[in-house]
Amino acid sequence: MLRKLAFSSIKSRLKDYVVLFSGLVVAAATFYMFMALATNQDFLGKNSMLSANNTMFIFIFGAILLAIITFFYLIYANSFLLTMRQREYGMFMMLGAKTGKIGQLIFMETFLLGMGATLIGEVIGIGLTQVVARLLVQQMGLTLQHFNSFYWPAFLITLAFFLVLFIFAAIWNSHKLMKTPVLKLLHSAEQPARTQVKPIWLAVQALLGVALLAAGYWAMINIALLQLLAIPFALVTIVLGSFFTFNATFIWLLRLMKKHRSFSLRGIRNFTLSQLNFRIHDYTRMLAMISILFALALGAITVGLGFRNDLSMLIDSFDAYDVKLYTHSAKIDAEVAKLDIKEQATYSYKVKGKQIYYRQDQLQDQPLYYFHYQRSGGISMQMPQRRRFAAKDYQISRETPNGAVQNAYNQLGIKSIYDGNALTGHLVTAAEFARLPGKTSRLTLIRVRDFAAARQKIAKIEQAQLTAAPEFSEVLENSKYANAQMGTAMYSGMIFMGLFLGLSFLAMLASCLMFKILSGAYSDVKRYDMLNKMGARTSVLKASVAKEIGVLYALPGLLGIIHVLFGLQLFKLLLLNPYHGIWLPFLIFLLLYGLYYWLTVTLYRGIVIPKVEIDK
Amino acid sequence: MTNEVVTVQHLVKTYGKGNEKKFTALKDIDFTVENGEFVGIMGASGSGKTTLLNILSTLDKPTSGEVRINQQDLTQLKGNQMADFRGHEIGFIFQDFNLLENLTAAENIALPLSLQGVAPKQIQPLVMKIAKRLSIESVLDHYPTELSGGQKQRVAAARALVHQPTILFGDEPTGALDSNSARELLETMSSLNRNDQVSILLVTHDPFSASYCQRILFIKDGEIGSELRRGERDRAAFYQEILDNLGTFTE
Repeated sequence: MLRKLAFSSIKSRLKDYVVLFSGLVVAAATFYMFMALATNQDFLGKNSMLSANNTMFIFIFGAILLAIITFFYLIYANSFLLTMRQREYGMFMMLGAKTGKIGQLIFMETFLLGMGATLIGEVIGIGLTQVVARLLVQQMGLTLQHFNSFYWPAFLITLAFFLVLFIFAAIWNSHKLMKTPVLKLLHSAEQPARTQVKPIWLAVQALLGVALLAAGYWAMINIALLQLLAIPFALVTIVLGSFFTFNATFIWLLRLMKKHRSFSLRGIRNFTLSQLNFRIHDYTRMLAMISILFALALGAITVGLGFRNDLSMLIDSFDAYDVKLYTHSAKIDAEVAKLDIKEQATYSYKVKGKQIYYRQDQLQDQPLYYFHYQRSGGISMQMPQRRRFAAKDYQISRETPNGAVQNAYNQLGIKSIYDGNALTGHLVTAAEFARLPGKTSRLTLIRVRDFAAARQKIAKIEQAQLTAAPEFSEVLENSKYANAQMGTAMYSGMIFMGLFLGLSFLAMLASCLMFKILSGAYSDVKRYDMLNKMGARTSVLKASVAKEIGVLYALPGLLGIIHVLFGLQLFKLLLLNPYHGIWLPFLIFLLLYGLYYWLTVTLYRGIVIPKVEIDK
Repeated sequence: MTNEVVTVQHLVKTYGKGNEKKFTALKDIDFTVENGEFVGIMGASGSGKTTLLNILSTLDKPTSGEVRINQQDLTQLKGNQMADFRGHEIGFIFQDFNLLENLTAAENIALPLSLQGVAPKQIQPLVMKIAKRLSIESVLDHYPTELSGGQKQRVAAARALVHQPTILFGDEPTGALDSNSARELLETMSSLNRNDQVSILLVTHDPFSASYCQRILFIKDGEIGSELRRGERDRAAFYQEILDNLGTFTE
C-alpha cells in the first residue's frame, strides 16, 4: 500500500522527476563518454601530441575532476529529491508508517532512480560518443583513429562509480529522513534568521576578496616571472578570492542597493533583493565553486578551439612551399593543373656520386622563400615570418656556405637531411653546371593560394609521386603535406579533449546550480503565495523569479569569464595567440549556460507561481 | 446610492470538472456588508468559510452568482485586474501571519505600497503612521523571526491596512495567538473599525473572536443558516448569545 502511495506521488510530480531523471541520465552519459576516451589507450596514443602515458595522466586528471563534479552534482540532485519528497514521507510517518519501512522505501526510490538513469545514460552515452566523434571529425577535419564508441572497461567503470555514489546517496537520504522529527518534515520551510555580520568584518572580507583575485590574476599574467609557481599560487588566491567575493563583496553590494530606498522600495525589488541576500549567504561556497568550474570549462573550450586555430597556422609554417614536384607523369601534371597556384619555380640539379649541384643563376633569378625565426624574447610562442632571399645572397664560396645557400641545399634536397646518406650540396655557375657530366634533373617548387583548400588535391599528387618515383620517398615523407597530416592527428586529440571536457563540465556545473536553486523552491512556495494574495501581478512575480535566478547565474558566470580572460595568459606557453577568436567559444558557452538558466526559471516558476484559479 | 462594500448574490461554487465527482462547497449564498461594518462569518471546518473568503478575495472564481466589492463585479475581472484589485481594495490577515521572513517588519509593511507603485518617498511616512496606530514603531527594524506572535500579527495588520483598503479580511487571525495577544488584537481591530471606519470581515470558528463583531453570519454546509446582531448590548452578553446559538445551530 505504502509503495503504491509513494509511486502515485511520483506521478503527481512527474515534471520535476523528469528533470531530475534526465539530469542524472546526462551525467551518466557524459561520464561514460569521457571514460570511453580516458581508458582507451589506443585512442589516446594515436591522437595526442604527448606520448600515450602522458596523455593517460592528463585524461585521468580530467576524469578525477569529472568524478568530483559528478559527485557534487549528485549531492545537489539528491537534495532536490529529498526536499521534494520529505513532506510526503513525513505525512506517511504521521499516518503511522514505520520508520524502517519508510527508510526502505526511500532507499529503493533513490537507488532505482539512480541505477535506471545510469543504465539509460550509458546507452545514450555510447550512441552520443559515436555521433559526437563523427561530428567532430567531420566539422573540424580531424582524424580520429582507433575510436570505438562501445568500450567495456568504460561501461563497467561508469556503472561501478554511479552504483557506489547512489548507494551512499540512498543511505544518506533514508538516514536523514529517519533522523528528522516528523513535525520538521511537515513544516520544512526554512526560517531565514537575521544574518549577523559586523559591517567592518564584511568590508574586510570584501576587500580581501578583491585583493586575492587581483593577486591571482597578477600571477597568471606574470607567469614568465614566477614560472611554474604561478599556477598553484593563482589557484589558491583565486579560489579564496572567489569565495570572499561571494561571501562579502556581493552581499555588500546587495545591502547598498537595499539601503538606497528610492531604488529598493519600487515594486517587488525589495523582495527580490532580500531573496538574493538570503540566497547568496546560503550559496557562497556553491557560487565560488561554480565560478571556478565555469572558468575551467570555458577555458577548456577556448583552449581546445585555440589549438584548432594554431593548427592551421602551424601547418603554414611547416614549409615555405606547399608542394615539391620531384618527378612528372601525365597523372601528376593533370592534378597539378587543378591547383590554384600562386607562384611556382623550377630548379635544375645534377647528382654525381655523393655530390649534388645547383645553378647559381636560377637561384638568383628566383630566390627562395624561407621562414625567419625571431629570437624569442619571452616564453611565449611566436610564429616565424615568411621572407625571401635576395639574389645577392647566393654567393659561391669555397668556405662554409652562407645561410641562403645552406637553405637552398635543404629546400632543394632530394634525400632526407636527417639520414646519413645526405648529399653534399654545391652551388655552381650556369657554365660550370653545363660542363658537369650526368643528366639534368628538375625540381619544381609550388606555392598555392590556400593550402587547406588544396589539401585533398595535394594528397593525390603526393601519392602519385610516391608510386611514380619511390626513390624520393624519404623527402616526400617529410613534405609539408605529410607533416600537416601528422600535426592534425596530434592536435585533434587535444582539441577533442578540450571541447569534450569543457562541454561536460558546463553541463554538470549548470545542473548543479539548477538543482541547488530548485531545492530551495519548495520553501519559497508560501512566500509567492503571500505576494499573490497581496495583489502582486503574476507577471511581476515571474519577473522577480527571472531576476533572482538570473543574478545567481550571472554572478558566477561573470566571475568565471574574468577568470578565463586572465587565465588564458597561462596558455601563451602553448598557444600562439590564446585570445584569437575567443568570441566563438564564449558564445557557444553562454548559449548553453543560458539554456540552463531558462530551464531553471521555467521549472522554478512551475513550482512557486500560484495558479490563478484554485482547483481541488 | 448604496452604502454596501460587499454584495453577494446567489453565489454557488462547485468543485470537480467534467466527469469528476462534483462537490458543491457554496450553495446560493446571499449577504451584504455595509461600509464601516464589522461582520463575522462563523462555521465549523468544511462549512465553506475558506471557499467564500477565497472568492471574495479574487483568489478563486465562483461557479455562478454575483460578487461585488466596492461596486466592482469580481466575476468580470481578468488576470492582472484580479491581482490589482487585491492590491488596492483588500487587506488580509491570516492565522499564520504570512509575513515574509526575509524582510524586516517595516519592509513587510511597505510592500503593498511598493507593489502599487507608490513613490518611495511617500512610503516611509505612511509606514510610520500605521505603525504608530498599531503601536509597533519599536519593532520596525526587526525580522519576523525576532518578534512574538502578537507583534507579528500586528505587523501583518499594519501591512493589511497601510494602503487603506476598502475592506479588511481576517482569516482566523487569532488562531495562533495566546489569549492576551488575541484580546489585544481584537481590541485593536474593534478600535480601527469604530474610530477609523475600517470595514472588516472576520472569518472564525472562535466564539470569543466573533463576539467583537456587530453582526455574525453562521454558515453550515455551504449555506447561511442564521444571523445574529449585537445591537446595543455589551460584548459579554453577545458572547453568551453566540454560544447559545452555536449550541442549537450545530445540532
